[in-house]
Amino acid sequence: MKFFFPDSQDQIDPSFDFISEERSIYRVRQRDDHYAHEALRASPFDGLLVSKAIVDGLPGAAGKYTAPQRQRLYRVGVRDFFRLDERHDRRLETMGDCGAFTYVRDDVPPYTADEVVDFYEGCGFDLGISIDHVILGYDKTADTDASHPHRDGWQQRQQITLELAAEFRSRARARKARFTPVGVAQGWSPTSYAASVSALQKIGYSRVAMGGMVPLKTPDILACLEAVNVVRKSSTQLHLLGISRCENVEAFAANGVTSFDSTSAFRQSFKDDHDNYYALDRNYSALRVPQVDGNPKLKARIRAGQVSQAQAIKLERQCLQAVRRYDTGTVTIETVLELLREYDQLCDGRKDRTASYQQTLEAQLWRDCQCGLCESAGIEIALFRGSERNKRRGFHNLHVFRQRLARELEGTAA
Amino acid sequence: MTTSRRRGDLTSPPIEQELRLPALQVRQGPNRILYSFAVDGKELPRFATVSRIRRDTDAGIQGYQRPEVLSHITSIRKYLESEDPMIPNAIVIAFDKRVLFEPSGPADAYACPGTLVIPIDDQGADADKPGWVVDGQQRCAAIREARVESFPICVTAFITESDAEQRSQFILVNSTKPLPKGLIYELLPSTVGALPVALQVRRFPATLLEHLNYDSDSPLQSLIQTPTTPEGVIKDNSILRMLENSLSDGALYPYRYAGTGEGDVDSMLAMIKDFWTAVRDTFPSAWALPPRRSRLMHGVGIIGMGYLMDAIGDRYAHIRTPTVDDFRYELDEIADVCEWTSGTWRFAPDHHRKWNDLQNTPGDIRLLSNYILGEYRVQTMGRRVRRQQRA
Repeated sequence: MKFFFPDSQDQIDPSFDFISEERSIYRVRQRDDHYAHEALRASPFDGLLVSKAIVDGLPGAAGKYTAPQRQRLYRVGVRDFFRLDERHDRRLETMGDCGAFTYVRDDVPPYTADEVVDFYEGCGFDLGISIDHVILGYDKTADTDASHPHRDGWQQRQQITLELAAEFRSRARARKARFTPVGVAQGWSPTSYAASVSALQKIGYSRVAMGGMVPLKTPDILACLEAVNVVRKSSTQLHLLGISRCENVEAFAANGVTSFDSTSAFRQSFKDDHDNYYALDRNYSALRVPQVDGNPKLKARIRAGQVSQAQAIKLERQCLQAVRRYDTGTVTIETVLELLREYDQLCDGRKDRTASYQQTLEAQLWRDCQCGLCESAGIEIALFRGSERNKRRGFHNLHVFRQRLARELEGTAA
Repeated sequence: MTTSRRRGDLTSPPIEQELRLPALQVRQGPNRILYSFAVDGKELPRFATVSRIRRDTDAGIQGYQRPEVLSHITSIRKYLESEDPMIPNAIVIAFDKRVLFEPSGPADAYACPGTLVIPIDDQGADADKPGWVVDGQQRCAAIREARVESFPICVTAFITESDAEQRSQFILVNSTKPLPKGLIYELLPSTVGALPVALQVRRFPATLLEHLNYDSDSPLQSLIQTPTTPEGVIKDNSILRMLENSLSDGALYPYRYAGTGEGDVDSMLAMIKDFWTAVRDTFPSAWALPPRRSRLMHGVGIIGMGYLMDAIGDRYAHIRTPTVDDFRYELDEIADVCEWTSGTWRFAPDHHRKWNDLQNTPGDIRLLSNYILGEYRVQTMGRRVRRQQRA
């Protein structure tokens, strides 16, 4: 089972200093920074998924790449750009896709088959996913009920996706593209997904990505996979787009899934309210010490004269100092918790996180973790604060996710 | 009058502590008296504070200062911690009438030496301090935060009880027009020592620009428009962006010294000059015209061609630094599709744009860059780089 990580230009700056919160002023973004596969002791993923929408942007949705970075990616290719070959323990694969969620609201996808082949070929991907159009909705009554309000729209999107898949494959063949084309199945029910996979196999695809399943409940995903399994040729490999759900990996594998991609372990580190710091058996809450200058709500209240900036800065500093002293054993846990609560009251104050913070502080995950970042960042990695700490924790979460996955897969093998 | 401050009561017992500072009283007009003095910036918070803008319970306006801008303070603080910093411009403080001036010498027409007596109450609340910072709150904060023992600073003060007067002075000192960017860029190469970070990182590209504009062997000599070269046709900013793009992600990157933000100037200049010489030779009729007559001299052309320099440099990188001949040879590949001064760009079968319909916008720069580089890739696909013709 291969795990692909969708790139969104997430790196850490090794020159960042936690105490002064400063970095080298001459640092060149991306080039001097480290990706997860460079920062962690072992690469947490088997490959990278890079989406055209993230690289190129779309009208109304800026890409994540600067123009010079984009040009360099096209010149040197995806392997060099991401420095994938500098890891020698194993070969990391690369998969390209279109980023269908960025244009989900449009009537038709914004790319032509040729443009997408250009992108995959120009960047030198191993695998290239055909252009798809996401169906937002899951309702099996649409299979039979001709008056279902979304039936026509959903069928149309499925049809567009299949037509583009056919065109994409024939263009890639005609141009002798070196990447392996991957078709996308879109559907709204087990039956419709099965129909998609069947059609893609007829077109000639032996690798199929299952799209639009991110919002689905696990039993629905499994129902779809089981329906697909009836029509799936034994040689057809499935990829789950945007799905992790470690605990189901065994069932996924049994239905022909050989790879998946997900950002959730990484993104949880700064998106999730509490489950943002992973340990092997459970998640903990990172300690929120927002930057006075970085928290929009607090900033607005300071600007309006409702909160004293000096008071906020003082509390922020006291929190940082207390957390560090707790780590060296010179301050009690009660003092840290009290300060964190006081600062939280000033910033947000909607809920008291003291109990979960206490568990985080007592667990001291960073002390024994072997990920490669916890050792160098120490307790700083447990702070919910700024992208340098949050992304380090995100990388750590990827490392733990990888271990969880390995554990589940060992279960399968045994 | 809206004032949130308690007035000094002249009948109350004398204040225990005071700061006595040598000062100059300056009479600017019949009703205008200023005081000029120096004080350790670390002492400032003892007698002066900042009046933050807010609304009181009756929605009346109070104070006038915005919050501290932490990034700006960091930038000043780093400067203060650098070697040999200097802040020549004075902090402006408004004192209330508890502050007194004792003349010590004869006054000439407008100036009189003496001592300024400032009451100090270290236990007192901020709002009870005798001084308000009218201008220089970021500098004051930076001195307060800086890891330096002390930092004497010049202060200009006036005495008033009126918030309204402080507010108008605050607006007056803060509504000046910032320096034009072009002037700053032109001055950058001939500066020494620490500068704010954003300028510090531009100093090196600005130095390259200066060479390109003034070296006698540069094809761009006198073509870059700066405050002292107004006849130039290429905007300074276009050249800076082209250079910065290449320094971070292109052909100049290998010549950069990671630790200092500088680099091997000679090698860099050689490559840039050779490239633009080849561009001039390839497109003689589009060269040196104002941007409205030639898109090559326009931001869109300069930046797009900059990417092409990077692409050619990359292709040759494993063999040699491309020479003028190499660049000419490679530029020939795309010369036919360029419509710098007339005609129509054929970006795609159904996407044509008149030559002068390209603007200096991110979208158009990208369109043109992708087109030129796409054509270059197609033309050079499978072809090896040109052999060296001359030894």
